[in-house]
Amino acid sequence: MIGGVAVRVAEPTSALGGNGPSAEGATASILGVRHLSKSFGPIAALKDVSLDIGAGEIRGICGENGAGKSTLVKILTGVYRPDQGAILIDGAPASLTTPRQAQERGLAIVAQELSLCPDLSVEDNIWLGSLRVPFLHKRPALRRRAAETLALLGASHIKLDAPVATLAMGERQLVEIARLLTRDARVLILDEPTATLTDVEIERIFAALVAVKREGRSVLYITHRLAEVYEICDQVTVLRNGELVATSPLSLLSRAALIEQMLGRPSGEMYPEETPASGAPALVVESLSLPGSVDNFAMKVCRGEILCIAGQIGSGSAEIIAALAGLVHDAKGRVTVNGRPLKLGSPARAARRGIMFVSGDRAAEGVFRRLSVLQNLVATRLREYSIFGFLRGGALRTAASRLAKRVGVDRRRLRARAEELSGGNQQKLAFGRSIERRNGGVLLMNEPTRGIDVGARAEIYRLMRSFCEEGYALVMASSDLEEIVGLGDVVITLYRGRQVGLYRRSEVNMHRIVADITHPAEAAI
Amino acid sequence: MTDQGLAIAWREAWRLSLPTSRRGRVLVGIRVAALLALLAIVATTPGFFTAVSLFSLLNTTSFIGCVAVGMTFITLSGNIMSFALSVTLSTSGMVFMAALPLGLPAALLIAFAYGAALTGFQGAVIGYFRANPIIVSMAALALITGGATLITQGQGIYPQGDAAAALKGRIFGVPMPLAAFILTVVVAQIVLSFTRFGRQLYMVGSNWRAALAAGLEPARVVLGAYVAAGLCTALAGILMAARYSSGDLEIGLGFDYSAISAVLVGGTAISGGEGSAIRSLIGAFIIAVCQVLLLLHGFSTQIQYLAIGLIVLFVIMLQTLADSD
Repeated sequence: MIGGVAVRVAEPTSALGGNGPSAEGATASILGVRHLSKSFGPIAALKDVSLDIGAGEIRGICGENGAGKSTLVKILTGVYRPDQGAILIDGAPASLTTPRQAQERGLAIVAQELSLCPDLSVEDNIWLGSLRVPFLHKRPALRRRAAETLALLGASHIKLDAPVATLAMGERQLVEIARLLTRDARVLILDEPTATLTDVEIERIFAALVAVKREGRSVLYITHRLAEVYEICDQVTVLRNGELVATSPLSLLSRAALIEQMLGRPSGEMYPEETPASGAPALVVESLSLPGSVDNFAMKVCRGEILCIAGQIGSGSAEIIAALAGLVHDAKGRVTVNGRPLKLGSPARAARRGIMFVSGDRAAEGVFRRLSVLQNLVATRLREYSIFGFLRGGALRTAASRLAKRVGVDRRRLRARAEELSGGNQQKLAFGRSIERRNGGVLLMNEPTRGIDVGARAEIYRLMRSFCEEGYALVMASSDLEEIVGLGDVVITLYRGRQVGLYRRSEVNMHRIVADITHPAEAAI
Repeated sequence: MTDQGLAIAWREAWRLSLPTSRRGRVLVGIRVAALLALLAIVATTPGFFTAVSLFSLLNTTSFIGCVAVGMTFITLSGNIMSFALSVTLSTSGMVFMAALPLGLPAALLIAFAYGAALTGFQGAVIGYFRANPIIVSMAALALITGGATLITQGQGIYPQGDAAAALKGRIFGVPMPLAAFILTVVVAQIVLSFTRFGRQLYMVGSNWRAALAAGLEPARVVLGAYVAAGLCTALAGILMAARYSSGDLEIGLGFDYSAISAVLVGGTAISGGEGSAIRSLIGAFIIAVCQVLLLLHGFSTQIQYLAIGLIVLFVIMLQTLADSD
């Protein structure tokens, strides 16, 4: 950790017997976590985390990407097994080795991708797979219970016989919550539940969560949206780089202090000096529209400049990058590269014009995991190094070796499979194959440091700056605010597919960005 | 080609480095043990080296081997397998026989073009529309069978004269089918290891979306893989038709399954992006050895089917375990 900011580092609240300092209405701890650690290979995703959730408490879990939130959730829901530590339910150690066991003990996750069957009715979905349902039988009692549960959540307007496919996103989430409640879920875990919802729907979900809380059940609420934490949570636990920073009651925690806890270090140190932009516009986008996600977006990025599109998951920032890379079929808009128009819709066409895409989802669309480091580095330049379709092996190897040096991958690992490399090194491969384009390029990036640990991050940032020095224009979408503030020469904030603000480097300010991307209305106040 | 280039090609053809994880090592151990057991059985089976020479053994598997090499392209491209290669084989043989009156070179050309067009069309549907490859191949199987039966009224095609006799002989003492098989493996392996298309095939098979995002044209590569599969299959069809002096729809029956067995037993990954033509050659060889062994020990054809079914099941389980590592 570099230059830590003074934050209150929490003693595990276990010392207090689970009675959190000021958790309103909280009684004994229903769910306790003791010294939980989990590593993936050399990367520690969770280090010695302890916390307690009281009955009837809504607990916010905050942290940057890669802070360990999803690892914690996956351990609590029986998907991962911890390397060390224990989970206590009602104070007694519980072993959660499968998702089913976790559900039976009352830990239930409201999945981001909802686990409902769209073609079945609401009632069938609520009872689907429940052990209480007798074979081939619809009991009136079950129907009554389903209706009561929906009513409890303030969702009695949802018809039990309606197919789930006809419901709006927010209503589906309520059905999912009802489904878990009928299974006697005692702790509901919600992971970024509002990313795809409208304001009215969000209010409904919040009302439902308050009803759940009144029943004496607890909620773990994972979100990036700080406004929501203050609206709905009793206490908030902040994770950073896999470690617990603090658990604090929200009544005692200012918003600035919460952001500081999440970031943990003064932003800036980690980031290289900016480079002067050459002024020549490399990529100009006008009136870009993507059906269902982005409306009338415009931007301009010059050589030597890093432009950041700040937005939460679902804001459309990732979709803009994908569309510019040619990966969205129904994208409409005028795009000019180095002064010449480019038709969207084909990554190969974009690549020929020097627009390269570095995905944040390395496993799915970043690296070729089974192929060697060498092959990954030269993936896009086979044409340069072949004669009549035959590869020039020696030339390829020389090129790969040079690229490895350029992006900082150990040249002795050229023959290793890409999947054997750490996340940071895999990302360097994606950079390596994208640079050295003949017609000076634009690098498009989606969450370039997702899942990459702090040390490798600093290296990636330096690498990005060095590309700027070579005349590349960089455009990245990110939900990592620190990264945006530290790196962006120009920052465009995005909320639900629309631009909220545009800031040049000197005007970039964390609080403004947070306000813009969480709730633009608040910025106006 | 430089030494380093060759070394890389060799490594791609047959990955020799031990996996890093314990489970991976155990799986490699199982594979080695299975091979050793097979060798032990071969060594202790009386008459194995006398009754069946290696040559004639491989000769019988040459036709399946050619199809297996074709299938390797499809599997490597990430499209699992095709159920339509059997009828592609049969009908290219029929087309060859029907075109023979035009002379041998013309007939060869027409038969190869036919095979390539047939699978190429499937490759285009699969590549450009992202259609499910298994379903497309089954539809193609039905279409080709139906079309061929309609046109020939279910009759076989018998050549006029003996223009195909040249394909029945030997080259340097090697029977024609075996020579063709070895040539196919060599050419296919060169294409896979040393050409741009080959390299792109591994990338597309390894990760279609990453290939797309990197600015390659995966659809075109998939199309190329299917065309290659069609050419290999047509070669087998031509040689079989020449051998039996007739083109018949039944001739390739069961070849899809035998070919994919050889591909998988050879160690090409069913999920794509990893494998080689040489591995399929070895796979075909191992299956042939097993068949001969069963024969020598007096087991019936039915038992042979069962045994090969079990072997493929075993191999697939090993692969799945290795992948989930």
